[in-house]
Parts: sequence; C-alpha cells; structure tokens
Amino acid sequence: RVSSDGKPPKFQPPPKPVIIDRKTQKEERRFLSPEFIPPRGRTDPLKYYIERKDMIQRRKVFNIPEFYVGHVLAVTTADPHARDKSNRFVGICIQRGGKGLGATFVLRNVIEDQGIEICYELYSPRIQAIEVLKLEKRLDENLMYLRDALPEYSTFDVNMRPVPRMDHEEIPVNKLQVRMKPKPWSKRWERPKYNIKGIKFDLPEHQMKAAQKWSQPWLEFDMLREYDTSKIEEKIRKELSEELEK
Amino acid sequence: MRLSVAAAISHGRVYRRLGLSPRSRLDLLRNLVTALVRHERIETPWARADEMRGYAERLIDYAKRGDKDERAMRMADFWLTEKDLIHKLFKVLAPRFQPHPGSYTRMLQIPNRDGLDRAKMAVIELKGNPLPPLVRPRRDSDKTLLNQLLKGYRQDAQRAAAA
Repeated sequence: RVSSDGKPPKFQPPPKPVIIDRKTQKEERRFLSPEFIPPRGRTDPLKYYIERKDMIQRRKVFNIPEFYVGHVLAVTTADPHARDKSNRFVGICIQRGGKGLGATFVLRNVIEDQGIEICYELYSPRIQAIEVLKLEKRLDENLMYLRDALPEYSTFDVNMRPVPRMDHEEIPVNKLQVRMKPKPWSKRWERPKYNIKGIKFDLPEHQMKAAQKWSQPWLEFDMLREYDTSKIEEKIRKELSEELEK
Repeated sequence: MRLSVAAAISHGRVYRRLGLSPRSRLDLLRNLVTALVRHERIETPWARADEMRGYAERLIDYAKRGDKDERAMRMADFWLTEKDLIHKLFKVLAPRFQPHPGSYTRMLQIPNRDGLDRAKMAVIELKGNPLPPLVRPRRDSDKTLLNQLLKGYRQDAQRAAAA
C-alpha cells in the first residue's frame, strides 16, 4: 500500500457482505385455486366476475386451504341426521373438478374393506371445516385409477394426526408407483390418452405395445388446443389479493 | 312421430372437419402453412384458409420466442415440411412481425373456383410481403359533396392569400 505523504493510511472499510434474502425470493410462488380460472368459451366474462365475487365473499368467512390432488384431507360437514349434527370424513383427494362456485373435489378412503368416495363442493355452506392432514402431490392430476389399485393404496387412518409441515414452500411430490388389481379395470389406464405416470404396469409387453396404437402424437403439435392462462391468472391474482385485503 | 332431435347440431365445436381424419386434417393444414411461409400469398378454399389462419399466426408467435427455445424449434420442425423454411421463419418472418402484437395475415374472398365444384375460394397472405398489394386504396371521387366543399374552401383560401 502506498503511504500518503507521511500521514497514517486512510482506513479502508471491509467490503459490505451481499445478503441474498431467500425468504422474499421464495414468496414468489403463489397458489391460485384452479376453480378461479375461467374455461375457454364464448360466455360473458361478467358471469365469471360475479361468481368470483361470491367465491371471495365465502373465502373471507371460511378458510379454504391450499390443496392439490393427492393430499389427505379431513372434511367436517353439517349433517342433520347425525348425533352431533356434524360428520367428519378423511380421504385422499383424487380429483378437483368444476369451475366457479360449483367447484368440487372427490375424497376417497377405504373403511372396513369398503371403498368410499365422496364428492364435496368447495363453496357449499354445509362444510364446516377443511383440514389438510398430509401434504403431498402425486405424479398425476387425476387419481381415479386408485379404484382399480390394491385397497392398501387408498386406506387412510380416520384418526390420522396432521403431519407437521416445516417450510412454507416446496410441496413434496410422491413418486409412488401404484400396483393394480388384475384386469378388467374400470378404464383402460394403460392407454396414452390418460397419460398416467403413477402406475406400475405389470402387463406383458405386447399389451403395452397394443395400447400405444391409440396414441395421437399429433395432438401435442395442435397449437389451437393450448390455453394460455398466464395473463388471465395475473389479473385474477391481483383481483383476489385486493379483495382479500379489504 | 320423431321423438328425438336429429343430431346434426354441433354445439360449441371450434374445429372444422377437413380431410379423412384428424391426422389428415392436420397434415392438410401443415402443407398449407408451409406453402404460405414459402410463397407468402396463396389461394385456397375459404374453409381451409380460415382453419389455417389460426395455426399460421400461432406459429409466428412461437417463432417470436426465438430459435434457442426448444419448444419453438420442435413446433417449427413439425409444421414446416420443407426444412429450409425454418430458417426463413426464424430469421425473416419473426423480426418482421416483432413490433406487431397479433394478426399477421390478411384473408380476402375471391370469385369461386373455375372447376366443376365452384368452391368458395380465398387468398391468404402474410402482411408486409414483397408482392404487389391485393387491394389498391382508392381516393374518393372529386364529385362528392364533401370533396367539392373542401375544393371550394381551398380555392377561397388561395384567393385570400393571393389578394
């Protein structure tokens, strides 16, 4: 270091550390419930706007948690014929359907060797509580094949404790490959139309090859079938965040 | 008496049925898109031009993403059967349409085909092509009332300026 004219050298402060705030970066992952996204069609957007207002009104009063297909939920509904006037059902969510106020989700469980599926409406006033017991996504969006899978894959303990979740991001994906009962199944799940990744097919090779006969490889390139929801989602997210803050 | 409605109504169907099968329909449209990219102006039956328009515009939207994009390259590879046109799509057409947000094609109806079928024909062209324009913009005739009044106003102004 060059000494400056006999005076003591100027104090050089150490370089400031660069702080990468991981928390603010990770909050960018936001969840928009799929029933808010309007389907493609020629209906007036006013209809969806009015429905969204009603959905937001319900969400202000009752908390609908974020969940995906593959989560294990416990739903308490009001039941006039039960002793406590309420009815609790635990099950794995196999499908989320419908848009707007009629959005539904189907829970499946096997109780005393009987498979039970109940389709609940998210915005029904009969629902008193929804708790997410286990958070995990599966490889598919639709787990209807659990009907033809061995019953052990659909059984969940009715008195299951909620599994604690540490971080507020990164929902784990369970890459479980489910084993099936012998054929016949309710649907031919090996066909490429269903595009199921979560089954361990023990079928012989010639059956798998015969199933590929129904594949439609041109569908992937059919550009007009794609529905780009990014801009619509942004608008709806903004609307939601404004309304829920009020 | 007929108790059920004859099922000749296609509620909400968006895609026309062309060719022999869905695969054949896509192949037909693919040939037309390739021809459009090569010649930039083609004459086809109106229904085929209408179907092809959507696919051509989406293809240009994909091309605007750039040729580094894996998906864009796969789409261009499928839709353009002549592979030298892929270069033209990414290097000529994408920069040409970069400033425009949409509607890169123009479709106009043409007198019916001369053959036996008298099909409704259309010409579809990419905007900004180097060919002579299809529609020449004509100025309004001088004999219309508004033009006569404007002419009179111009003459009055010239006389006032001269005086």
